[in-house]
Amino acid sequence: MRLHPNDDQAMFLSALDQMMQGKSAAWRTSPQWDRYEWSDAFDRELEESGFLDCAIEETLGPVAAAEMTFRLATLPIAVEAAASALLRPKFAADLPRPLAIIESDHAQAIRFLPVARSVLSLGGDSIMSALIEPHAVASVESLYAFPMGVLKKALDWRPLNADPEAVRAQWRVALAAELAGALKGALASVVSHVRERHQFGRPLGSFQAIQHRLAGAATKVEASYWLTLKAAQSGDSIDAALALGYAQDASTKVVYDLHQFMGAMGLTLEHPLHRWTYRARLLRSSLRGSINNLRTVAVERWRAA
Amino acid sequence: MDFDWTEEDRAYRARIREFLKKELPSDWDEISRHGPGSREQTEFSLQFCPKLAEAGLLVPHWPQEWGGGDRPTWEHFILGEELWAAGEPRGAQYMNVNWIGPTLMRFGTEEQKRRFIPEMVAGKAIWCQGFSEPNAGSDLASLRTRAERDGDDYVINGTKIWTSYAAMAEHCFLLARAGAGQGKAGIAIFIVPMSTPGIEVRSIPSLIGHGDIHETFFTDVRVPAAARLGEEGEAWSIINYSLANERVGIPRYELSTRVLNDMVSELKQRGDFSDPVVQARAGSAAAACEAARMLVYRTVDMKARGDIVGAEASMARVAVIEADHAVTDFGMEFLPDAFNGRSHPAFLAHHERAIVTGIAAGAAEIQLGLIARHWLDLPKGVH
Ligand SMILES: Cc1cc2nc3c(=O)[nH]c(=O)nc-3n(C[C@H](O)[C@H](O)[C@H](O)COP(=O)(O)OP(=O)(O)OC[C@H]3O[C@@H](n4cnc5c(N)ncnc54)[C@H](O)[C@@H]3O)c2cc1C
Repeated sequence: MRLHPNDDQAMFLSALDQMMQGKSAAWRTSPQWDRYEWSDAFDRELEESGFLDCAIEETLGPVAAAEMTFRLATLPIAVEAAASALLRPKFAADLPRPLAIIESDHAQAIRFLPVARSVLSLGGDSIMSALIEPHAVASVESLYAFPMGVLKKALDWRPLNADPEAVRAQWRVALAAELAGALKGALASVVSHVRERHQFGRPLGSFQAIQHRLAGAATKVEASYWLTLKAAQSGDSIDAALALGYAQDASTKVVYDLHQFMGAMGLTLEHPLHRWTYRARLLRSSLRGSINNLRTVAVERWRAA
Repeated sequence: MDFDWTEEDRAYRARIREFLKKELPSDWDEISRHGPGSREQTEFSLQFCPKLAEAGLLVPHWPQEWGGGDRPTWEHFILGEELWAAGEPRGAQYMNVNWIGPTLMRFGTEEQKRRFIPEMVAGKAIWCQGFSEPNAGSDLASLRTRAERDGDDYVINGTKIWTSYAAMAEHCFLLARAGAGQGKAGIAIFIVPMSTPGIEVRSIPSLIGHGDIHETFFTDVRVPAAARLGEEGEAWSIINYSLANERVGIPRYELSTRVLNDMVSELKQRGDFSDPVVQARAGSAAAACEAARMLVYRTVDMKARGDIVGAEASMARVAVIEADHAVTDFGMEFLPDAFNGRSHPAFLAHHERAIVTGIAAGAAEIQLGLIARHWLDLPKGVH
C-alpha cells in the first residue's frame, strides 16, 4: 500500500505547482464583475504543457490526472481540466479541447460550453461526441462560477467506442477531484482570513466555535481527496460513486460555514471565495447529487449480499 | 501511489483469516457482545492471545530482540484490520502490543524490560492504564495523584477513574505527581503491581456493560523507586510518544464495516432493502467507513515511511467517530428491534463501542482543537 507519489508523479506535480504560480492563473476581479474568470492564456499553457495527457502515461496514470484536477480546482479561476485530464486521453483523444460534458438528456445549461471546442454526452446508452460548430452555443447568465451555455442548434453527434459505464465512473472521479479541490481552495482562503482578522482583540481563528467547524471541514476535505485518489487508481465504479457522493455531501455542509466565517467580505465580488463555493454548488448536483451517488454505491456493493 | 496490497500482503491477510476461522469459537460473537474491558472478554483474550503469540501474530512488528519479527508497519496494520473485523479479540492485550510494550522498550530500564516484556510477547500480560482522575479528564495534566519519595520507595495516594481492565490487571501504568515540578513537568510514570496493599478497585456499572470501567483508589501504596519508568517529570514527553503510537492506525472502521454489511443482509432478508431511502442511507454509512479507512491509511503510510504523524492522526480519529456513528445510527433507524434481546450480539457490541469512540483516548473536541492548531495553523485560543 503506497499513498505517496512515485518519483515521476512527484516531479510532475511540482512542475504543475510552478505553472499554477504563474500570472495567468492568479486571482483577479473580473472587469465586468462577472461571477467567473476564464483565462485563455492559462488554458493554452496547460494544453501546451502536455500535462493533460498524463492519465495514459504509464508512470503517472489516472491517479496523477485526478491529483492534477484537484490542484487546478484550488485556483480561483475556472479551469477545464476534469474532462480533459480524465476522460479525453483514454476515451476521446482526437477531440479538440476544452471539452464540455452533457450528463443527461434534459436541456440545461452546461458548464464550459461557451469556451469548449467539443462536447461529450454521457446520458444515453452509448457515449456520443460532437465538435462544436461556430454559433452553436449561447452563453447563459449564471450564478455558478463557470462559463455556462446552452446548445442553440443540433450538432453532428457520433458514437464513441467506449463502455458508457466506464466513462461515467471515470467522470465521477473527475468531478470528485474537482469538487474536493474547490473546497480545499475555499477552505484555505477562509483559514487565512480568520488568521488575520481580529475582533474582540483576538484573531477570529482563535475562537473555538470557528476552529472546530473549520477542523471538521478540513477533515471532510481531506477524506474527499483521499477517496478520490483511491478511486482514480482502482478504476472501480463503486469507489468512484462513493468518492463523488461523499464529496458532494461534505460540500453541502461546508460551503455555508466557509461563507459564514468570511462575514460580509465573503459576499463581495472583490474577494475570491465565491469562485470556489459557487463552483462547488454546481458540482454538488452533478450526476444527480450526493444521495443518488451514495445510493448507487449501496445498490452495487450489496447487489449479491 | 498505488492504493493496493502486494501479493505478500494478500497472502498474509489470508493466513490471518484462516487462523481466525480456526481459532475463534462459534460463540465468540456472544462473548464480544460484552464490553472490551469485561471479564468475559478479558478471560477470553487470555486464552486467545497465547495462540496468536504462538502463531507469530501478536507482536510481529516488534524488534526480534524483544520477541517480535521486525515485520513492516503495513503488515502489522493488516493484522489489526483483520482482528478488528473479527470484533477485536485481543481484549486488553492491544494496549500492551500497541504502546505499553514499545514504551517499555524505549524508556524502560534493562530490568523493567526483562521483567515485563516476555509476558507481553507470550500474550499473557494484563495491564491497566491509570491516567484519568475524577477531576482530570481531557485536562490530564491537572491530575493530583501523588507519589511521595520515602527513602528507596515512593508512597502513592490518589484516585483514578474509568480504569479499564483494573479488576483483572496485574500491573498499572500509573501517572502521578512526583518531585517538585509543576503542571506537566511534575508528573512521573510508575509501574504498580495491582496486588500491592492499599489499592482498591470498584467496578462502575455502565452502558457498556458491567466490569468494564472502574474507580481505582490508592491509599499509602508503597512501591520501590525501581518501579518508576523514566525520570520524575518525564512522564509527559514519554506518554506523548506513547499515545502518538496508540492513536495511529487503529482500524475501528473494520468493525463498523462488518456490522454495516450484516445490517444490510438482515434488511435484505426482511425484504426491506429495496427502499431507495434505506439504500441511500446505507451508501452514506459505507462512505463514512471508507473515509475513515482512507484517513487511517494515510497515517499508516506516514508511519511506514518514518514520518512523524501529527494532526493527520486526529483527522483519522474524527472520521472514525463519524463512521461509528453513521453505522450505529443506520441500524437503530432501520432495524430498531435488532438492538433488543440477544439475536444480534455484533450490533450491540458495535453500538457500545460507537458511544465510546468520541470520548476515550482524547475526546472528539480535543482532536478538533489539534487539527485547528496543527493542520490549519490557527492561533491558540483560550480553551
Ligand atoms: C470506555 C472508556 C474506557 C476508558 N478507559 C480508561 C482507562 O483505562 N484509563 C484511563 O486513564 N482513562 C480511561 N478512560 C477515560 C478517558 O480517557 C476520558 O474519558 C477522556 O480523557 C475524557 O475525559 P472525561 O471523560 O473526564 O471528559 P471531560 O474531559 O470532562 O470532557 C467532557 C466533554 O467536554 C469536552 N471538552 C473537554 N475539554 C474541552 C475543551 N478544552 N474544549 C472543548 N471541549 C472540551 C470533551 O471533548 C468532552 O466532549 C476511558 C473512558 C471510556 C469512555
